[in-house]
Amino acid sequence: MFAPSGLKIAESVPLNRARTEPAVVRWLLIATALLFLGFFLLTPLIVIFAEALQKGFALYLESFKDPEAWAAIRLTLLTAAIAVPLNLVFGVAAAWAIAKFNFVGKNVLTTLIDLPFAVSPVISGMIFVLLFGMQGWLGPWLQEHEIKIIFAVPGIVLATIFVTFPFVARELIPLMQAQGTEEEEAAIVLGASGWQTFFRITVPNIKWGLLYGVILCNARAMGEFGAVSVVSGHIRGLTNTMPLHVEILYNEYNFVAAFAVASLLALLALVTLAAKRFVEWKSHQPSVGQR
Amino acid sequence: MSIEIRRVTKQFGDFAALKNIDLTVNTGELVALLGPSGSGKTTLLRIMAGLETPDSGEILFHGENATDRSVRDRHVGFVFQHYALFKHMTVFENVAFGLRVRPRSNRPSNEEIRAKVHSLLQLVQLDRMESNYPSQLSGGQRQRVALARALAVEPKMLLLDEPFGALDAKIRQELRLWLRRLHDELHITSVFVTHDQEEALEVADRIVVMNEGRIEQVGTPEEVYDHPVNPFVYHFLGNVNLFHSRVGEGRVKIGPLEIDAPEHAAAQDTPAVAYVRPHDIEIERHKNGQPAIAALIQHIQSVGPVVRLQLNRQDTGQMIEAELSKERYRELGLKAGEVVFIKPRHWTVYQGEGI
Repeated sequence: MFAPSGLKIAESVPLNRARTEPAVVRWLLIATALLFLGFFLLTPLIVIFAEALQKGFALYLESFKDPEAWAAIRLTLLTAAIAVPLNLVFGVAAAWAIAKFNFVGKNVLTTLIDLPFAVSPVISGMIFVLLFGMQGWLGPWLQEHEIKIIFAVPGIVLATIFVTFPFVARELIPLMQAQGTEEEEAAIVLGASGWQTFFRITVPNIKWGLLYGVILCNARAMGEFGAVSVVSGHIRGLTNTMPLHVEILYNEYNFVAAFAVASLLALLALVTLAAKRFVEWKSHQPSVGQR
Repeated sequence: MSIEIRRVTKQFGDFAALKNIDLTVNTGELVALLGPSGSGKTTLLRIMAGLETPDSGEILFHGENATDRSVRDRHVGFVFQHYALFKHMTVFENVAFGLRVRPRSNRPSNEEIRAKVHSLLQLVQLDRMESNYPSQLSGGQRQRVALARALAVEPKMLLLDEPFGALDAKIRQELRLWLRRLHDELHITSVFVTHDQEEALEVADRIVVMNEGRIEQVGTPEEVYDHPVNPFVYHFLGNVNLFHSRVGEGRVKIGPLEIDAPEHAAAQDTPAVAYVRPHDIEIERHKNGQPAIAALIQHIQSVGPVVRLQLNRQDTGQMIEAELSKERYRELGLKAGEVVFIKPRHWTVYQGEGI
């Protein structure tokens, strides 16, 4: 009843000898790829956990009792908790506008969404320093009103939002464009309001793409280093996120603690990969409701 | 409810989709918008529904100006070409959608919704499919769900965009007759778009023939088929043979034949084309002393009640299509490769070079 996924087709079709390369070539290619993966991806991952646990599990746990480490973890969670929902809303709005309407400046908007991917994160951070810093455009006004953005939490959140902006939108635009507007039109003709159409028709149709975008967005929000580093000021216990805290500990030769915090980020990456895989599997599975 | 279109125009960029359209659809009528792709028929339908806004002109529902009325407030039923069923909802929920999204004040109770949906699913003969998802239905079943969903909100009029376009021939035929019966039962003002002249001729009360953003002719199926106002309509409503010639003093000469064209009595040796439908070509074995065009039978297709002949005019080499009944075909005992004599039984002459 259901069409098998592309993967299953590939598995079930026997190798056609006439059309495949000789065994030597195949094995050589596979071995190269595996070696490369192992060296650049797997080894660092092993090193992180090995280093973190080299002085024993007790000392590993001890690293997290440090209040500064806790502060860094809390700040990272807070940043992600603000940046991800905001980018969810922005991303859906932008994708909706681009995919379902025609308006002047649509191309400009599409290009602008990609901007954070195009510029170096450090430059992104610099932009906010130039805007909100003491010598920045808005600096004097902010100082007058005693609002602190740079070298404080708002700056970190702003920089993170900027860097992670494209994830949700990029994921949704092609999906929404492919789906077209017919179902929405059908809903409106049947008397549904804009909100009813959005929540009852649009959201169920894009939910897996949305979740996928959110997962990637969250991973980047928690792991961002460059942009946050510029605006943070590295004040211990106050403006250090996890990646920044790892750097400080490492520079102080406190390897166990550094790798212990790093191992948390590595775990996050693994969880993200697993979640991403799950969402991909789920969205490609032609569930009863989908064609 | 009647629909009145007044001087409506619509432009997409450089493309003029509709040019100054005037049209009235009477209460309870079933009207077909017929035309080739790009003729503006779907745009006109979407303007009636409010899914597109006209650049200028007015739309009147039941005599009231509805040009600026929102889609939601027009209370139309719209059936999309590709059905646009909600993929993530069951058949039941698809049909119930229009009732569930009503404001609380006039939303029917759950039992009422259930009863309504069941009666509609019975009407479209899908009452056993209510818990299936659209992906589990065939094309014809999806089409009927789309229709039930549109009817659930008790629309004042029903608009259908190429309702049978994506179905195979046999199901098309069935659904066509079924739609006609449904309309005779419900008497809801209906407009459907099609590019298939047979569909329009078979189902509609009146046909609106459109081309390049204009209405070419409006009339009953008999009117547009038997009395097409111009070569385009003639062409579009069925196969036709063209005899290029000249008209003078109400007479047209086709080879050895001369036919009457009294409507062109004033013309003096002007280029003209006589249009003759394949079934209006008369075939004889012998001249019988009267002038007739000699033609060679090239191919005979004798499957079904109507026999189709492909003939080759001996004097000009032009291909001619002819249709005759099986009885007449047997009577004449025709075979490919034989020479026969043909002459038109009915014809229409238009001045110009034809299309």
